[in-house]
Amino acid sequence: MTLLSIDFERHRLDNGLKVVLAPDPTVPVVATNLWYGVGSRNEPAGKTGFAHLFEHMMFQGSAHVPKNRHFELIERVGGTLNATTWFDRTNYFETVPSHELDLCLWLESDRMGWMLPAMDQEKLDNQRDVVMNEKLQRYDNQPYGDWSERLQHLLYPADHPYHHTVIGSMEDIEAATLDDVASFFETFYVPNNAVLTIAGDIDPTEALDAIERYFGDISAGADVPPLPGRTELDPVIGETVRDTVVSDVPLPRVIMGFRIPPYSSEAFASAEVARALLGMGRASRFYRHLVREQQIAKSVMTYAYPLMTGASMLLVWGTGFPGSDPAELEQAMTRELEGLIDARQDEIDRAISLTETDLVRALERVAERADLLSMFDLYFDDPGRLNRELDRLRSVTLDDVRRFVEQQLGTNNRAILTYVPENGR
Amino acid sequence: MSALDRSAQPASGTLRDFSFPVVDRQALANGLDLRLARMNRLPVVNVSLFMRASEGALGHDRAGLAVLTSDALEGGTRKRSGSELAESLERIGARLSASAGWEGSTVGMSCLADRLPEAFAIMAEAVREPAFPEDEVRRALDQQLATIRQRQMDPGALATDAARAAYFAADVPYARAVDGTVASIESMSRETLSGYVEANYRPEGGGLVVVGDVELDEVADMASAHFGEWTGTPAHVADFDVRPAHVQRRVILVHRPGAVQSEVRIGHVGASRSIPDYYALSIANMVLGGMFTSRLNLNLREEHGFTYGVRSRFTFRSHPGPFQISTAVGNDVAAAAVREAMSELTLMAEQGPTEEEVSAARDYAAGVFGLQLETSGQIATRVNQLLIYGLADDHYDRYRDDVRAVTADAAAAAAGRYMRPSEAQIVVVGDADAVLQPLEELGLAPVQVVGAD
Repeated sequence: MTLLSIDFERHRLDNGLKVVLAPDPTVPVVATNLWYGVGSRNEPAGKTGFAHLFEHMMFQGSAHVPKNRHFELIERVGGTLNATTWFDRTNYFETVPSHELDLCLWLESDRMGWMLPAMDQEKLDNQRDVVMNEKLQRYDNQPYGDWSERLQHLLYPADHPYHHTVIGSMEDIEAATLDDVASFFETFYVPNNAVLTIAGDIDPTEALDAIERYFGDISAGADVPPLPGRTELDPVIGETVRDTVVSDVPLPRVIMGFRIPPYSSEAFASAEVARALLGMGRASRFYRHLVREQQIAKSVMTYAYPLMTGASMLLVWGTGFPGSDPAELEQAMTRELEGLIDARQDEIDRAISLTETDLVRALERVAERADLLSMFDLYFDDPGRLNRELDRLRSVTLDDVRRFVEQQLGTNNRAILTYVPENGR
Repeated sequence: MSALDRSAQPASGTLRDFSFPVVDRQALANGLDLRLARMNRLPVVNVSLFMRASEGALGHDRAGLAVLTSDALEGGTRKRSGSELAESLERIGARLSASAGWEGSTVGMSCLADRLPEAFAIMAEAVREPAFPEDEVRRALDQQLATIRQRQMDPGALATDAARAAYFAADVPYARAVDGTVASIESMSRETLSGYVEANYRPEGGGLVVVGDVELDEVADMASAHFGEWTGTPAHVADFDVRPAHVQRRVILVHRPGAVQSEVRIGHVGASRSIPDYYALSIANMVLGGMFTSRLNLNLREEHGFTYGVRSRFTFRSHPGPFQISTAVGNDVAAAAVREAMSELTLMAEQGPTEEEVSAARDYAAGVFGLQLETSGQIATRVNQLLIYGLADDHYDRYRDDVRAVTADAAAAAAGRYMRPSEAQIVVVGDADAVLQPLEELGLAPVQVVGAD
């Protein structure tokens, strides 16, 4: 059973830029996708939120592209574009009709090579305001909006790069200067710290020529400096840690976090499978038992974050009903976590079947292919891993799952964040 | 390698034309309208069954019944419990979903092509033989009540709810949230749901849309085998006229003590999907607030830094849905943001977009259409639109030409007709201590302050 066979080829320019080309002529669409090896983990104390603010600045123009022109040109050809910042990386992407590939290469190369001449204080002030509004809208003015900050504080010590959030602190964003923009650009936005993937309707030879033409004369930079803080940490927290928040939230919610092996380790696959048994689909244990049978949770969610540094995190959420007791919800969630010790093979098979459909459906979009190929190249130096994803999960045994439950889900490794509606509502 | 002239934007390559997939149609004997678009890029299939069992056909006392019924559909069939239903689908990698809205109810399923016969049979069983066990209905009901409660404490949802009620007269279904009220939901039981399905889950006026790696004959056989005996017309019909709640401009401030940001909605009754100037109005709206480089976003975000984002939109339905500008802004600039948004709206309504703006929006609309023909899900969504709004079979074949035919004059005329700043209902959800006085000083209309609960 190998449905997954995405063709691709790899190249590397002299300046160190890694290139992945994944041709597929079936639709006249091309996705350009650029991953830079920089994220919030690279921010030292006092500069939190800067990687994300910098991502906004990347849309403020470059030497040959005035402010707003990037958006105008891509929208003019019917294209879509965006960028995201996360803990370990920042990605930039455009999807356009395939005869407009050069436009994307021109725009991306101009800001990789010639961003700084276009920077000024007015643009920085403007985007600082935009980012502070983003923080207000998505975090501060939202019920439960501070959950990630609270949970990361429980899971990671103050000197670990995952202790602080991607959005960062208002004070740090306020303090950012144009000098910070320049030094961040020169340190991290270098071709030798990036992967460029082009997926879709391309002729690989022509595409590589064009990439050489647009990116070839950007100078390589120095190696990226080591991460700030202390990246090594114990595989478990060492105890159960708690944070209980009484606030203006509509429903009680329990969020449990666990340190798990990093995405870079083979053991991460066990975490992914365990998380799928708990929360993937409506036959999963959390949904079946907590939502459907016991009706103690209104909804449940589970994630295994693919983080690279020291330890990643597994998250399980349960949201209760009006007036319900979060302690009972937590007990019920804990029973399911511990009950996973007797996982069955048919549950693993079900999770893999669902994963297969989801992955094939995701790969219908060239943008998604490009994003995954960039990730696997940046993180593992191995874009071909995309075609082996299901095998990797299939290799997880019941013993692996049991070992994972024993080692990672015990009372010595739980971070429990509880939201209690104020006024007893 | 010769030096590259970076100052010049690259020339475009040669455009490769790409057509909307051929949609085969077959009317089954029971009136079910079967539509199939073949796509064999990857071995996946998307199935959706649309029935005209709509929230728009329900009175206020039954508001949310179609939504609740679709949520409870996963509760099991006469042959399988809810858990068994989930298990039997997920074991073969199939995902089932059900939802309902103003136009009807949709049951969707996606799976790998080799699993289609089995998954299709289970999907049909879920639609034709739902059992609605007592405890599953109770669960769906409690979940929906909790969702309504969550919305009352979410500033964005609160703003949208308050705005809707300000746009539409109280007896128009669109004045309420699509998933009903606490009172309407609390009055429902498993009998209500079974009765609703019996009367309204009927094939006439609906259709079955299949997109993916499968042949028409196969699908027609499956549809006949599982839906052939199914007959009838939905009992409840959406029969109402849309009227505005107010035609004078109003400013409504929903006081949320301590809110660190203000949610803003500005709008009024918009237009239906069937208006002749649909494309012209869509283009005018894109220029106002439907793209990143829209006037609103360039003004409020890129020039003033008031917001993370702002957009405007016409929600086109069978009856005129809302027209609305929405954004979230800092308290200290809430009034200034309202002032700028109103000024952009007024300018667009009075003068329309420029030639250059219309040209850019046309290019965007025509281009992005071609980019969204990649996945079976995207195609299925579009074919469903044909069905739901009764659009011509060649609608998507003509789409790009029709968009490109929009002139600046036509866009200006549509903007003048359907954007009415003098009738705008301006809703702000924020802390009155911070935003009331500046809003009053704008002088747009007297500010009515209401509580959040």
